[in-house]
Amino acid sequence: MKKTVFAGLMASASLMATPTLAEKSVVTALPEQVTAWVENYNPFNQTTALPSVLHLMYEPLIIFNAMDGGKPVFRLATDFQYSDDLSSIEVTLRDGVKWSDGEAFDADDVIATFELVMGNAALDNQGMAKMLSGVEKLAANKVRFNLNTPSSQAMFQIAEVPVVPQHVWAGVEDPVAFTNPNPVGSGALTAIDRFTPQEYIQCRNDNYWDADSLKVDCMRFPQISNNDQALAAAANGELDWMGSFLPDIENTYVSKDPDNHKYWLPGGSLVAFYLNLESKDAGNKEAFNNVSFRHAVSMAFDRDAMVEIAGYGYPTINAYPSGLGASFHAWNDEMTEEKFGQFTNYDVDTARSLLAEAGFKDVDGDGFVETPSGAPINVDIIVPNGWTDWVNTVQIAVEGMNAAGIKSNVATPEAAVWTEKLINADYAVAINAISVGATPYTQYERGLHERNQGKTRFGAARYYNADLSAKLDAFTQTTDAGEQQAIMADVQRILGAEMPIVPVFNNPVWYQYNTKRFTGFFNADNPVANPAVHKTNPARLLHLLSLRPAG
Amino acid sequence: MQFLLKRLAFYLVAFLVAATFNFVIPRMMPGNPADIMLANANAAMGPEARAALMATFGFTEGPLHLQYIDYLKSIFTWDFGTSVKFYPVPVTDMLMQALPWTLFLTGGSLLVSFSIGTLLGILAAWRRGTAIDVIASPTALALQSIPSVVVALAGLYFFAIANKVFPTAYAFDPALDPAWSFEFAGSVLKHGFLPIITLSVVLVGGYLVTMRNNMIGQLGEDYIYMAEAKGLSDARVRYTYAARNALLPSVTALALSFGALFGGSLVTEVVFNYPGVGNLLYLGIVGRDFPLIQGQLLIMTLAMLTANFLVDLAYVFLDPRLKRA
Repeated sequence: MKKTVFAGLMASASLMATPTLAEKSVVTALPEQVTAWVENYNPFNQTTALPSVLHLMYEPLIIFNAMDGGKPVFRLATDFQYSDDLSSIEVTLRDGVKWSDGEAFDADDVIATFELVMGNAALDNQGMAKMLSGVEKLAANKVRFNLNTPSSQAMFQIAEVPVVPQHVWAGVEDPVAFTNPNPVGSGALTAIDRFTPQEYIQCRNDNYWDADSLKVDCMRFPQISNNDQALAAAANGELDWMGSFLPDIENTYVSKDPDNHKYWLPGGSLVAFYLNLESKDAGNKEAFNNVSFRHAVSMAFDRDAMVEIAGYGYPTINAYPSGLGASFHAWNDEMTEEKFGQFTNYDVDTARSLLAEAGFKDVDGDGFVETPSGAPINVDIIVPNGWTDWVNTVQIAVEGMNAAGIKSNVATPEAAVWTEKLINADYAVAINAISVGATPYTQYERGLHERNQGKTRFGAARYYNADLSAKLDAFTQTTDAGEQQAIMADVQRILGAEMPIVPVFNNPVWYQYNTKRFTGFFNADNPVANPAVHKTNPARLLHLLSLRPAG
Repeated sequence: MQFLLKRLAFYLVAFLVAATFNFVIPRMMPGNPADIMLANANAAMGPEARAALMATFGFTEGPLHLQYIDYLKSIFTWDFGTSVKFYPVPVTDMLMQALPWTLFLTGGSLLVSFSIGTLLGILAAWRRGTAIDVIASPTALALQSIPSVVVALAGLYFFAIANKVFPTAYAFDPALDPAWSFEFAGSVLKHGFLPIITLSVVLVGGYLVTMRNNMIGQLGEDYIYMAEAKGLSDARVRYTYAARNALLPSVTALALSFGALFGGSLVTEVVFNYPGVGNLLYLGIVGRDFPLIQGQLLIMTLAMLTANFLVDLAYVFLDPRLKRA
């Protein structure tokens, strides 16, 4: 354990800072909120590694730009080709790339990395052991990934794995607990200039292959532990690039410096209401498994109010019956919209008549309907305590459902409990989010494919539809754009008709920026890629490379 | 001597009971750290990788009594395991890094509130019914009843956000390195000022009232009249005669409130993003970092018991009757 981490009160006077930072261009960024920074540069550690390790310290092979139709931006790789039967992928590596310690990068590094990941389940965040049967070296700059099951989606996941230098990692005894002190990387920023629990500064890699594009010298990461603290720092103009929930952003942030304080909130993960199809309550279960009931619930939702009032206007409304989302509009199937579009309109009267037609009526006279078999329905909608925008969204949902005659209440367990209830299907209705990928396939596969039901938080609806799963699998068996479009249209039709989860909006990608010290930020007029500085967004490297010191 | 031994035995039992609660309570909380971290990262991790991750964090579902024995062992070897949230840093390191800051906050605010409260209490008792008594006593009591979170947030808003007199976060300027220099010490004081003052405001009332009541009791005593009759100055009678004797109960209260304040600084640390153990505990609870929660609670228990023990010791010296008991 490096003692330098714990520069507490007792540190000696010998640790004086050398003020060379003044001449460098330093971007101050807030990628995540923590109570103390702890040195951990292990890129495979998904939970406690520093937020600047992936993408910035370890250059990705390829960045797939979801805002550009999922097109590849080649970084360490220069090309990839699927075999005709989609059972393998040949990846060509960039020549002349050096690690930050001056050693050359080549196919051996890639192969060693994937062998390391496949041999250690705790490092295998992307499920490589399951996906790959092996990686072969074809030349010093060429490797072949052999897939266990043919899939046209494999490259998206392979590209998420950071490639590490074989000459460093070969000697690591326990790669899971390894904190990777003195990191050797291939990325833009690899040098740690300064590290304290309250801030750290990561500076440019002298051997960076794309050094010409990088106009920023360093990034500084202050430790900030909550949204209030983030707002205070942002309003003071201390942060250049961030992504936090700022309430009433025009007044609290923009108005403090209207020329420089700006934001852009493109649509991100899909937010939907999950109806637990395996609910332990007989009445709820009968209701949730009735398609008309699910359509009626959807029609009882005032999505405009959810976005404008509960969400301060930050989210993007999602009135696609399939939950497709505005950012994937190019995939939209018009037939689905024509046939099922009405079910996402806010119309309580029609919701009531839908319920009546399906046999739901008020038997005991309490003003709320019972199921066709006469069982009572009483729905608690769970939402994590303190997630105020979501809590208010659920409040609006409850009002709509009660008006439509469905008895419902808000329940606000702690986030940890909410997660556990979703995974164990121990809930009635929940608001939930599914992270999105480069194509609509990702959200549908994560949320609704049979194989993920009951395994993760995304698959909490427990919706088992073999037909849908087969369609999603077929999507991965082709690279033909027209064929993919046709399959995705079928998927949307199934989802519109069945509505296993009820989409309401897409969460915003949180992103605020300050143009006082830097220009070139992505925004609505310059929508190059996902602008977030958060560690789950590989495109943040493209963003960093587009920044220029102002003036 | 026998008295002390009895007390020591009592503290050992109390400690074991508290330690057992430390063990049981986190295990009763629903949720587990791996899922929370994955949910926060919005990552989709398969069941295999999740199981491997849990094993890495030491979440092997052993029988409860074995876990308990391991836990007791860890207490006496001062090894609380590895933090989940800050994996792979040992919990002890995280706590030792945070502890000085909490001691600084609690020590500082006790010093400030005790001095101000006691002094005002003396004056209020000496000049009963005059302006100082009529204004200071009710005001201090009113402040005492405000939750400390409100005082802290108000302080943060008025002095750090609306008027940028004091910083909004940190224990010292992040651009500085810890050093024995005036610059660093000044930064520590500047960053500690608001947290210490907002913690103190709530405490002043308690000391004021205790001191005022004790003083009034003393002022009726014969030796005070004697001192006045001798023609000693007011200040001399007030401070070296009356206040000195009235102070004893307040000193006891001071030691006792140290333990309570140690736990109570959590809210203040969270509001001011101060790197103390309270902030760590909060993070540990939210992230279900069981080793961190256990270690932190144990340190709090120890602080509480140590403060009580010191009071016991003080009693032995202050009250000779106890030596014979």
